[in-house]
Amino acid sequence: MDQATVADQLKTLMRHSSRLPVDWDAVALDSRIDSLGFDSLTIMDLIYEIQQAFHIEFDPDEMTAIQTVGDLVEFLARKTG
Amino acid sequence: MIRRLRYRLEYLFARSAMALFDSLPLPFSVRVAEYGADLYFLLGGMRRRTAIDNLLQAGLASTPAEARRIARESFRHFARLVIESFASLRWLTDDSWPSHCTLDLHPDSRRLLEDPRQGLLLISGHLGNWEVAAQVLSFLKPVLGIIRPMDNPHIDALMRWRTNRPGIKVISKREAHPAALMGALKQGHILALLTDQHASRDDTVLPFFGRPAYTHTSPALLHLITRTPIIFGYCERTGPCQYTLHVEEPLVFPPTGNRQADIVRVLSTLTGRLEAAIRRHPEQYLWGHRRWKKLRPMNGHPPTPGEPVAQPAGNAK
Repeated sequence: MDQATVADQLKTLMRHSSRLPVDWDAVALDSRIDSLGFDSLTIMDLIYEIQQAFHIEFDPDEMTAIQTVGDLVEFLARKTG
Repeated sequence: MIRRLRYRLEYLFARSAMALFDSLPLPFSVRVAEYGADLYFLLGGMRRRTAIDNLLQAGLASTPAEARRIARESFRHFARLVIESFASLRWLTDDSWPSHCTLDLHPDSRRLLEDPRQGLLLISGHLGNWEVAAQVLSFLKPVLGIIRPMDNPHIDALMRWRTNRPGIKVISKREAHPAALMGALKQGHILALLTDQHASRDDTVLPFFGRPAYTHTSPALLHLITRTPIIFGYCERTGPCQYTLHVEEPLVFPPTGNRQADIVRVLSTLTGRLEAAIRRHPEQYLWGHRRWKKLRPMNGHPPTPGEPVAQPAGNAK
């Protein structure tokens, strides 16, 4: 799956899990995930949705390196590629 | 300034009380604590009223007199719990624990507990002695617990120091990042969670003894995203420094893609297990806690049980 498709799908999922009114059109690849209304509970919501949508599993060791939307897109593109 | 002084005084009182109880024989300390609990029950108006009201509303007492009896015994139980837990470094050791705690483990759960690579989500409530439960389990497998830090930082540090033992790691809710919890499960640890305290208004509303209550969602989500088996268990006090650790069969709920329905399925099952255990030992439950707080209206009406409480705000654009 290419990165643009992943990014589009990911933004949709993030929009549903976030608890802040975010302007998602303005969200860029370098946007930090923790600035988009995600706390520990909503991060788990998002992980659930991502695992279901992309049919992947998160490894906790890999998760620590994911800080931005771009990191997550790259991670998902690699996992689904 | 006043708060800092109050925290210092509370710390000094707690430290002195610990030193006093440490110097006394354990049975005598327990007896003193029971008298203290009786006095607190007599004078502690709000907690006593909460406990009695909770028992009546939960249907576990049919008359105010019965509720009062159970509530008073619950206060005494809590006093015993504090004293025996604080002294447990003396009487609950790697060698001595089998003479103090009988294991009542479902065979499948026992197999998982004996597998060093198998992570487990242990779900329990403020029933029996949860400190002893964690300590006994830590002799079988490393345990990670999550606590809400106490308001008084000095007492918080004191409690952590006092309950610290090899095999148990305790972190605060603030430190409980999903990656850290998932990492512990991957390493084969037990993640021990007490799930029966009033949850935040961003959690899930579910009936607890028939009345809607905010219920912690994270145990269900952690299970659904890691597929780690859940075991429900609790440590029943059967006598002075005598316990039975009950652990029921492992539970696994495959995710269906409907997050909210999956969460409700997991949490409803766990709440049912906890209710059944409390019904067996109502006098060993912490009834003084205000679990049923007022629900925040959603769209002008109280939230329906099972409905997601937090409205996702991310779809503003």
